[in-house]
Amino acid sequence: MKRNEFIVILTKRLNEQNVGDIDEIIAEYEAHFAYKLADGYTEEEIAIKLGDPDELACQFVAVERPKKHDIGRGLLVTGLVFADFFTGLFFILLAAWTMVIIGFAFASAAIGVAYLIELNPYGILPPMPYWVGAVFAASLLALAVLSLAGSLYFGLYVKQLLKAYGRFHHNRLAVSAGKPVLPSLRAYPKLKPRENRLFRKVVLGSLTIFALCFVLGYIVASITAGTPGFWHAWNWFV
Amino acid sequence: MNIQYKKGVIELCVLSMLAKEDRYGYDISETISQKIDISDGTVYPILRKLKGDGLVTTYVRETSGGPPRIYYRMTDLGRKLYRSDRGEWLDFVETVKMMLEAE
Repeated sequence: MKRNEFIVILTKRLNEQNVGDIDEIIAEYEAHFAYKLADGYTEEEIAIKLGDPDELACQFVAVERPKKHDIGRGLLVTGLVFADFFTGLFFILLAAWTMVIIGFAFASAAIGVAYLIELNPYGILPPMPYWVGAVFAASLLALAVLSLAGSLYFGLYVKQLLKAYGRFHHNRLAVSAGKPVLPSLRAYPKLKPRENRLFRKVVLGSLTIFALCFVLGYIVASITAGTPGFWHAWNWFV
Repeated sequence: MNIQYKKGVIELCVLSMLAKEDRYGYDISETISQKIDISDGTVYPILRKLKGDGLVTTYVRETSGGPPRIYYRMTDLGRKLYRSDRGEWLDFVETVKMMLEAE
């Protein structure tokens, strides 16, 4: 096979298979022929050593990235703008929820502290004997720790989700521009083993204290008031 | 040896060459085919794949008297991947060697 024949077959096959940037591929093989000819090989020898052009074309097809520009870039950008808008709203909602839980944690802590130091501004807290209040206070403080830990994890989760979405956004644009795609990111946060153990300990500990003290508070309140409906005995809703 | 075996390895060999310096296609093809028994044309699809994956970029340099050379340069991504693949491959080879010699 002569050089021309080799190049023609290769070009034709690459064209048929829609391989992109064929000129650069052909330039490499042309250069290969040129160097080998200069070394004194004949065109036939060079073609044989290069291998079957049909087979080589198949190897290019096999490594080709999926065809780009399937949808127009304008359409992609429009789609991404819409996607960004709705995911944006979604992320605002998630971030707001994190704020709500943090607020809840601080409120629980404030009420707990108020019962502990017997502070009842404007009488807004339901009255109860100090020791009953103290048990409920422990429960409330544990609840504050639990919700704070929960909101922290939730916040990390939202942050990681946002990053993963950003990467997805970047990659869609990269594919349409024919640029290399970066590996996608995981959609959940990953803590270091030590942080993970600590987090688990804090959550389980505060959950246990919250539940135990809540039940204990109810029991102590019922005994002190002499009735399971202690709120009636202490005239909470009058 | 099976051609499929070789291809994956050649990719790593090409990366190792480019990790040291920029090389042009024919130069890479010649170096590889002198050491490994494959047809001369096989290296170019591999170079193309590396480029498509963003591991290398190309630039053209004119030469006096010869055809223009398409040079391949390793990207940061390529360097990162090469470093980890190299370690993995050396461990792998070590294990295979131990298993085969244990016969």
